Amino acid sequence: MDNRFTRRQVFGGSARLGLALACGMPLIPACGSSGSSSKKKTASIKSDLKPEAGPLRILNYDSYVAPDIISAFEAKYGVKIEVTTFTTDDEAITKLASGAVDVDLHHSAGTSTLYKLIESGLIQPLNKSYLTNIGNVSSSLRDPYYDKGAVYTVPYTVFGTGIGFRADKVDPKSVSWETLWDTKYKGVTSILDDVREGLAMAMMRKGLKDVNTTDPAVIKKAGADLGQLTNLMNIKVEIEGYHTIPEGATTVAHTWSGDMLTAVGYLPQGTGDDVLGYWQPDPAVINNDVMCVLSKAKNPVLAHLYVNYMLDKTNAQTNFKYVGYQPAIEGLDGQALSDAGLVPAHLASCVMSNDQIAKGYRYLQLTADVDALWNDAWSKFRAGA
Amino acid sequence: MANAAGAAPGGHRNGFWGVLSLPGVTWLLALFVVPFYAIAAVAFGQVDPILRTAAPVWGPWSWDFSAMGKVFGRVFGGDLAGVVVRTLSYVGVSLAVCALIGYPVAYYVARHASRWRGALLAALVLPFWISYLMRMLAWVNLLQVDGYFNRLLGWLHFGGSRNWLDGNWPTVVIGLVYGYIPFFILPLYAALERLDKRLIEAGRDLGASPRRVFQRVTLPLSVPGLMSASVITVLPMFGDYYTNTFLSSGSPKTEMMGNQIERYLRGTSQPQTGASLVLILSAMLLVLMTYYLVVTVRAQRAVAT
Repeated sequence: MDNRFTRRQVFGGSARLGLALACGMPLIPACGSSGSSSKKKTASIKSDLKPEAGPLRILNYDSYVAPDIISAFEAKYGVKIEVTTFTTDDEAITKLASGAVDVDLHHSAGTSTLYKLIESGLIQPLNKSYLTNIGNVSSSLRDPYYDKGAVYTVPYTVFGTGIGFRADKVDPKSVSWETLWDTKYKGVTSILDDVREGLAMAMMRKGLKDVNTTDPAVIKKAGADLGQLTNLMNIKVEIEGYHTIPEGATTVAHTWSGDMLTAVGYLPQGTGDDVLGYWQPDPAVINNDVMCVLSKAKNPVLAHLYVNYMLDKTNAQTNFKYVGYQPAIEGLDGQALSDAGLVPAHLASCVMSNDQIAKGYRYLQLTADVDALWNDAWSKFRAGA
Repeated sequence: MANAAGAAPGGHRNGFWGVLSLPGVTWLLALFVVPFYAIAAVAFGQVDPILRTAAPVWGPWSWDFSAMGKVFGRVFGGDLAGVVVRTLSYVGVSLAVCALIGYPVAYYVARHASRWRGALLAALVLPFWISYLMRMLAWVNLLQVDGYFNRLLGWLHFGGSRNWLDGNWPTVVIGLVYGYIPFFILPLYAALERLDKRLIEAGRDLGASPRRVFQRVTLPLSVPGLMSASVITVLPMFGDYYTNTFLSSGSPKTEMMGNQIERYLRGTSQPQTGASLVLILSAMLLVLMTYYLVVTVRAQRAVAT
């Protein structure tokens, strides 16, 4: 007998359990026969529909869209926007799948887990007749590997993974992954609190290129290498580099490129942005977040219009000023943003070029067994074992 | 006849109160049984093949114990053994500090505070007016490298550049004690306040010194209160993960079981592992609860005789 459940059966089972307990009845058999949570996929909305009255409900990370953008969209379309926040990609998926949040637009879905949203039927194909600005998308992300033909998604931001550092305390030319193991910086070093990023960094330090490895020995070795950092460096494991580096609490941080641009806004008054530095290997791990419309969206037209609004070059720049993460818009490269005064020249490396995006390493969805190997290795490191 | 006549109204009263308490008892039982069963259904259940979220299996006859077996091996002798020992140590030390600080406070408020009692009780409850997270963040400000604590140490010529937030166990213990000590003092105060003063007076009348009366009368009589306070304090401490997260910047040196549970349940596709850890932790707490019940019953019997 296959014990796996569809989500509908799971939730039905929950309700039955409550009812059974309330009535003092024995539990109802709960073995399902289906082994998949896949659902019938939704078709895209028709063209030329009028926008709904709203409010437009958005799911997003906290502070990951400029308030000015929100209010400008509200004013333009005469609707309200309600933003619900989440903290991790998995949390967002769980909330959407369980129905705990009911929104029209997922503002910032991760690409390595996107297939969950597609295969479970949680998001709908986009109707590109509403996306008149679609041509503004970075040429490197117009037919992305995670959504061939860009059927379901539009890229929102793009970023690399590297090392953010205090340029007044570390020689920029000496920075590499080895710097995270350099005892000169003991107690003032951190790595990202992310299983994939943490272990992949340890692998890349050893010259490995497969950041989706399925080799148990490689995964175990990467975990063991990270384990050295516990006592050697008094390593911190967090995602706070964007403020701990400018504040001076951290000198070297494994971090995302966008965080170093955000860091400029956290510098103490009177401190120049030249104290900040960023390094990443070439090629680097490249990530991007994507916008997608939920299948159950009550305001799908508004959601499309919002996505289109974000693809406008001027709006993208306005948003970039606030979030610090590079928009996936053609032409808004390091040079252009630097020329526009939005990026300090010495931090232009925080902005990814089309070439870097195209050849960057990407995190792919792992099988359940391999995922468990990665998680257990990370768990062992976090346990200080 | 008199007994029978007297018993009847008492029986009616008991029945009345029994019926009245039924909704509450049912509610509490449901709030214990249903979530606990749900955790077991997750621990022994499956994972949705696409979403990788928990797919609980409600029928025990279909439970799969492989995840629990693996976690059991990791906890007892494997890579998670250190986390368990560390958690037990932190909670044990924190409880001891709570007792050392909390008992005199509770004793003073209960026995000697007289007209200040109300104000002192209000002061004990005062921390609850501020969010736990805010209180922990306040500690971050105090203990950061350029924080007030280091400035004080510098002023006293004891150094003053130490980073207290990069995985120091005393910092985590301080956080736990600060966060949970009101839970220790309040039930202990209630127990001490109810002590039969005549027994203490009898001890004094029989010539015992105040110290001896405390040792032979007050302390033994306050054991049930101490046990209640310990249980109420220790239970949330065992599952705590945010105190450590805030005060250690995620350092692996101070990782506790709650951190591992939170990670597996929220951030991975292995919810069975997280749920199994919850069950193992619950089993450990059950041992402590059993000990508490045994000690309490013994203490009550001792008082009765």
